[in-house]
Amino acid sequence: MSTLRLILVEDESLVAIMMEDMLVDLGCEVVGSFGHLDAALSWLEDTARHFDGAILDVNLGGEMVFPLAQALRDRGVPFVFATGYGEISDQRFAAAPLIHKPVNPEALSLALESLRTAA
Amino acid sequence: MRSAASPVGTPAPATDPLFTLVETIEALSAVRTVEGVAAVVRSAARQITGADGVAFVMRDGDQCWYLDEDAIGPLWKGLRFPMTACISGWAMLNRQTVVIPDIYADDRIPHDAYRPTFVKSLVMTPVRPRDPVAAIGAYWARQRTPTEDETVKLQVIARATATALENAHMYASLNETLARRKFLLRELDHRCKNMLAAVQSIADQTLRKASSPEQFVDAFTGRLQAMSGAHELLTRGEWADASLREVLSAALEAFGGVDGRRIRAEGPDITLAPESAVAFHMAVHELAVNAVRHGALGVESGGVDIDWSVDMAAPSRTLGFSWRERGGARAVQPPTRTGFGLRLLEGGIARELGGEAHVAFEPDGAVFSLKAPLSNRIALA
Repeated sequence: MSTLRLILVEDESLVAIMMEDMLVDLGCEVVGSFGHLDAALSWLEDTARHFDGAILDVNLGGEMVFPLAQALRDRGVPFVFATGYGEISDQRFAAAPLIHKPVNPEALSLALESLRTAA
Repeated sequence: MRSAASPVGTPAPATDPLFTLVETIEALSAVRTVEGVAAVVRSAARQITGADGVAFVMRDGDQCWYLDEDAIGPLWKGLRFPMTACISGWAMLNRQTVVIPDIYADDRIPHDAYRPTFVKSLVMTPVRPRDPVAAIGAYWARQRTPTEDETVKLQVIARATATALENAHMYASLNETLARRKFLLRELDHRCKNMLAAVQSIADQTLRKASSPEQFVDAFTGRLQAMSGAHELLTRGEWADASLREVLSAALEAFGGVDGRRIRAEGPDITLAPESAVAFHMAVHELAVNAVRHGALGVESGGVDIDWSVDMAAPSRTLGFSWRERGGARAVQPPTRTGFGLRLLEGGIARELGGEAHVAFEPDGAVFSLKAPLSNRIALA
C-alpha cells in the first residue's frame, strides 16, 4: 500500500499538531499544513503539486473552507471534512465524508480509506 | 354571532360605535407586528370615523412612510416624504392633532401631492404624542369641518395604536433575543467541541513524551491549567479580543508573574483574537515550563525579558515579539526539536498568526522570536 500524501487545513494549532501526528501514525505523509484559507489556496495554485487528498476543518476562524473544497473538487482531489459542527451547511458538499471533533482515530482511519479508494 | 336582541350581559351590537371602538382596541392588543397594527388601524379607523379614507403613517428617521391605507381611491401607500413636507410630519413634529376643513386653503399641505387624490378635508393625529412614532390620517372627499366626535375617536384609536406598536416592538425584540440565544447555544456547542479537541491534542502530545504516569499527570495538569487560565481571561472579556499584556500576566502567574524584575514585559498595547489568545497563552506556558526546567527561571539569579514592538515601516505592519532568558547559567541542553512546546511555538503560533517563529537555545537560556503581520487576529489596540 503506497503512502497517502495529504494536506491538512485546520486553524487551531493544538488540533493541527495532533492531527499531523495521527496522520503520520496511520502511515500518511502530511505534505502541507495550513491554518488559513488563503495560505492553502495559494499553495494549491501551483498545479504541479501532487497529493492524494485533504483533511479540511470547516470553520477557519469564522471563514468557511468551502472555496478550497470546490477548488479541490475541480482538480479531482478527494477530501474529508473535520468539524465540531453537526453538519455541513453548504449543500454542494452535503454528501462529502465527514469526521467529528474531537477526532476518533478509528473514524480518521476509515476516512483515510475512503480517500485511498477515491484517489 | 351577535344579534340585535342581545340578552342582558352580552356585548352590545356591532353597530354601536363604542362597541366597535372596544373591539378595535382588543384587536390591537392581540397583533404582534407593525404590519398587523397597520392593518387593524386602517380598517377600524375608517369604520369608526366614517371617513372616505384612512392612512397609517410611520415615522422612519426624517421621513414619513405611508405604510397602509383604506380609502375610496388611491392615496400614497408605500411612498415616503420628508417629515417637513407633509401634514403627517407636521402632526408628529408638532405633537398635535391637526384638523383641516379645506386642504387647498392650508399652506401646510403639499398641494401637488393631493391633486391626484379625492381628498378635500382631513384630520391627522400623532401616535404617542410625547414622542410620535406614527400618525393616523382620516380623509374626506368634500370640504367639511370634521366633528369633535370624529377627532376624539381618531385620537382614542391613536392611543391604542401607540400601545400596540410598543407591543410589536417588544415582541420583535423578544424574537431577536430568542434567535440570538439559539445562535449562542450553537456557538457554545462548537466552542466546547473545539476545546475538547484541544484537550485531546494536549493529552495525546503529553502522553507521547511522558516518561512516567506521574510525569504525564504533572505535565498534563499544567497544560490544562494554562488552557483554563486562557479561557478565564476570555470569559472575563466576554470573548472579545484579549490584550497581549493580560495574556502574558495570566500565563506567567504560576511562575511568579510579570513582576518587572525577574520577569519583565514591555511593548505597545496589542490585542489578540480569542483563538489566538489561547494559542499564545499555551505557547508562553510552554516557554515558562521549559525555562524552569532547563533555563533561566530554574536559577535564583535568572530572569526573562519579554519585548515586543510594531514595525510601522514594513509594507504590512509587523509585530516583532521576543522572549529572551537571561542569567540561566546552567548548562542548557536543548530539548528535542520534536517536543510539543517547540512545535507549538515554531509551528502553531506562527501558523495561527501567519508569521514566522524561531526558538534558539543560547548559553543564557532560550530565545523565542516571532514576526507576524498585523491582521484581524492580532492588532494594535
